[in-house]
Amino acid sequence: MRGPLTPFSLPAMNTEEGYNGGKPGQQQQQAGGGFGQKGDNGDGGGVNNKVKYTMPGVLHFIQHEWSNFELERSHWEIDRAELQARIAFLQGERKGQDNLKNDLIRRIQMLEHALRAERAKYHKLKYGTEIPQSEMQLPSASSSAQDEYSSIPEVGADSEAPLSSVSNVSWKQGRQLLREYLHEIGYTDTIIDVRSSRVRNLLGLNNNNNLSGIEQGQSDNNQINGNNYNKRFSDNQGQCSPTKRTQQQQQQQNQKKLLDVESAVMANFEFLSEMRSTSDSGDVDMDDDGVDDDDDDEDDDDDEMGMADDVIDMTSICKFGPDDVDAEAEEVVNELQLLTEDISNKENEQNDWKVSNRDVFNKNSNNANWIKNEPVEMVDGNMDLALGLGELAQLTVNNESETNADIIDMKTASRKTWNAKYTLRSHFDGVRALAFHPTESILITASEDHTMKLWNLQKTIAPKKSASLDVEPLYTFRSHTGPVFCLAISKNGEHCYSGGLDNVIKVWAMPSANIDPYDSYDKNILINNLEGHEDAVWGISVHHNRSELLSCSADGSVKLWSPTNLKTPCLSSYVSDQDEIPTSVDYVRDIEGQFVASYNSSHCVIYDIETKSPITRLECSKDPSEMATQLIHRVKCHPTLPLTITAHDDHHIRFFDNNTGKMVHSMVAHLDAVTSLAVDPNGLYLLSGSHDSSIRIWNLESKTCVQEITAHRKKLDESILDVAFHPSEAYIASAGADSLVKVFV
Amino acid sequence: MKMAESVKKLLKRNKPGTKANFFRKWPDEPFEEMESTLAVQEFIQQQIRIDPSNIDIILTPPDSQEEGVWKYEHLRQFCMELNGLAVELQTECLPDTCSQMTSTEQWIFLCAAHKTPKECPAIDYTRHTLDGAACLLNSNKYFPSRVNIKESSVAKLGSVCRRVYRIFSHAYYHHQNIYNKFENETYLCQRFTKFVIKYSLMAKENLIVPMPDAIMQGIRTEEDGTTSIKEP
Ligand SMILES: [Zn+2]
Ligand SMILES: [Zn+2]
Repeated sequence: MRGPLTPFSLPAMNTEEGYNGGKPGQQQQQAGGGFGQKGDNGDGGGVNNKVKYTMPGVLHFIQHEWSNFELERSHWEIDRAELQARIAFLQGERKGQDNLKNDLIRRIQMLEHALRAERAKYHKLKYGTEIPQSEMQLPSASSSAQDEYSSIPEVGADSEAPLSSVSNVSWKQGRQLLREYLHEIGYTDTIIDVRSSRVRNLLGLNNNNNLSGIEQGQSDNNQINGNNYNKRFSDNQGQCSPTKRTQQQQQQQNQKKLLDVESAVMANFEFLSEMRSTSDSGDVDMDDDGVDDDDDDEDDDDDEMGMADDVIDMTSICKFGPDDVDAEAEEVVNELQLLTEDISNKENEQNDWKVSNRDVFNKNSNNANWIKNEPVEMVDGNMDLALGLGELAQLTVNNESETNADIIDMKTASRKTWNAKYTLRSHFDGVRALAFHPTESILITASEDHTMKLWNLQKTIAPKKSASLDVEPLYTFRSHTGPVFCLAISKNGEHCYSGGLDNVIKVWAMPSANIDPYDSYDKNILINNLEGHEDAVWGISVHHNRSELLSCSADGSVKLWSPTNLKTPCLSSYVSDQDEIPTSVDYVRDIEGQFVASYNSSHCVIYDIETKSPITRLECSKDPSEMATQLIHRVKCHPTLPLTITAHDDHHIRFFDNNTGKMVHSMVAHLDAVTSLAVDPNGLYLLSGSHDSSIRIWNLESKTCVQEITAHRKKLDESILDVAFHPSEAYIASAGADSLVKVFV
Repeated sequence: MKMAESVKKLLKRNKPGTKANFFRKWPDEPFEEMESTLAVQEFIQQQIRIDPSNIDIILTPPDSQEEGVWKYEHLRQFCMELNGLAVELQTECLPDTCSQMTSTEQWIFLCAAHKTPKECPAIDYTRHTLDGAACLLNSNKYFPSRVNIKESSVAKLGSVCRRVYRIFSHAYYHHQNIYNKFENETYLCQRFTKFVIKYSLMAKENLIVPMPDAIMQGIRTEEDGTTSIKEP
């Protein structure tokens, strides 16, 4: 009875497919053979039994049973040997994983070091002194910290480093350690903020001065092992300005890179712990390639009804299982390679940056070289460092370990760095507009492909072997007969409104956040058609609490609508006698009963909604030739202040006081036309998008750029067409002429 | 305003406030001078804008254009324009009247967008097929780049063609008015038919919407046709 059991018990012990496929079959055969023999003799025994038990018969039976057991035992022995080999193999594999992880940790530590060294250097450059220990204790200065740090890289590749222990507890300990360590070297929130502003100042200086001049005073002995890593890092900072940029922009970018590197390092730690937890769930191979084409021929030709259509082909994209860990680990390695490559790209034109802290880097020199020798994978040339790190950083998703919270806390508020998280791919042509749901993680996008799509950012699919998360649209709005230009969601999240080239504004019911993407068509989702404009509708604005809608059209009018009124939805129409065509419209937010419209004359007019009379004109220039270049692409009102912000074709963003109509600030904000604006719900930050392919985040108080992200490619001469802040959650998004939408967290 | 228009001629942009008559009204540009990475799409759209009825010109690739990307971008354009037909069908093609996806009475098509193929009503089949095609053609897995396309991914275009063609055939056999109006404006089914013949993406016997002779010229014999679907 033991024989037949084995095929069942073995697979349960080991789910490895090769074993499952081959061995049990073999087993069964052997068991079958044994049984056959037994049967033959059993027959004989049965005949004997009828007569009587004879001694030789009993002996023979016992002998035979014994030989059967012997046979089975030898099978067991073989199985055991095989299982042992298997265990050894798995252990080896685990060790490999551990080594990989250790290597990653080393790289992370080097990144950290480079970062710290940079900061120390900046400090030195600025103040001409070493950083005081109270502020920033570098590892060499603090013996305990140094011990903690240096113990890790010194661990041989094969030995078990403390951090590589499987148990979650030691992970927490490791993190705790890191956290303490970060605190020790001065990574408290306040200091980080102070330092980042200092760095910003310093970078402003550095860009003008020749750094090598200052640096040459320093000792050379660390130059050989290079801190080649550090040099590359610093070069990379110079790299981020491919064309002429203003000094201010450059320093902001440098600042951003620093923060990016920092957040990426954090993200990696979180990722590593996540990798640990997922590795338990085992590998699931989701090989869906190759199946789909096989039935291509059959379905049309053979079946009359119910051709087994290539189901897989369409749906396989939607079906994904747990990722296999190797692939993810591989991704991280690739990302890091990308990073190092990016950095090394600029090695030729490097300055002689040197590090003030030699000891640590000498210790790490082997590692640095090791990175350098790593085969480098070519990645999409467009990808810049920021994006690469952004994808690294996104790996923090779903990590709920409580130590995380602290790390995340450290980078909130003033030093929030946005990282690319999702690329929404489903439109066939440029995406003209996007709008977030007021409370849920839902985004609607409107495109020149005549459709709008609804995305739930919390319903993501992690495809295997890709670092970017896939989000698929849950619903496609089809009713416009031309490109869709503008979009808004009502403040209660129940409706959305869209306008475009077909002159009609559509009022839609918001589909459920959990709608099945392949549900049946419900025509009631289109609630109303607001007809009245006689040319393309280019802008829509919703009231912050009333169910009211403003639209502007190339027919020269701004109209006020009651969107759910089926009979006479149009409440009023506003036409400026001095200006031709409105380009954008927004409610004035700090006062009731007013709205602002921008005109292609490059002026804005604030209207009283009730009396329909203009209240204030916001003019940036009286010179007709200047006016012609200052076309306003977008106008936005500040949520709480009497401030109107305009995005201009001449690369400027301008700020107007609503009460006086005077321009209070004007700045060159981009390298090309500024196409879109969004103000965060608290009124502290401004987001702008431009045909220069970048989005920028501005501190509204200081009017300085806090982050720039290159987000889209060009189609024709257009690049970014809209940007948005989520009203209540930490998302921003950009819409591109390249048919893509990017979401940042 | 005049100045703004002259700027607009230099830059191919549709600025806010552009009147419908001026939307996408740019001077033509030779393919070689299109600089962006999405030049193939720009070029195809330009040729369609010039004259949607001139199918041969629209389907003629620029010299040295790699065929995979050319086919891929055309199929994107077809799926995009088919949204227009779907919008029209939404008003008339109701689950009550068209409870199954049929063209001639010979076949009932099952919708491939579901985990198990489903007998969706025609309008759902239309929407699901277009949504599924949008997913596939934008899939990061199969089409991560619009500049370089793997041979294995190009092979997937044929199955998309076969499915979206059924939208044309359903419209033709069940909603003739809608089909005729749409076809007179866009020439889309004619262009599509020529396209799949030219690149052997579908078998002749599946092309059941009657076409002018000029479109069907160059079609292979039946034997060739059946082998041709196995090629991709
Ligand atoms: Zn129908
Ligand atoms: Zn379906």
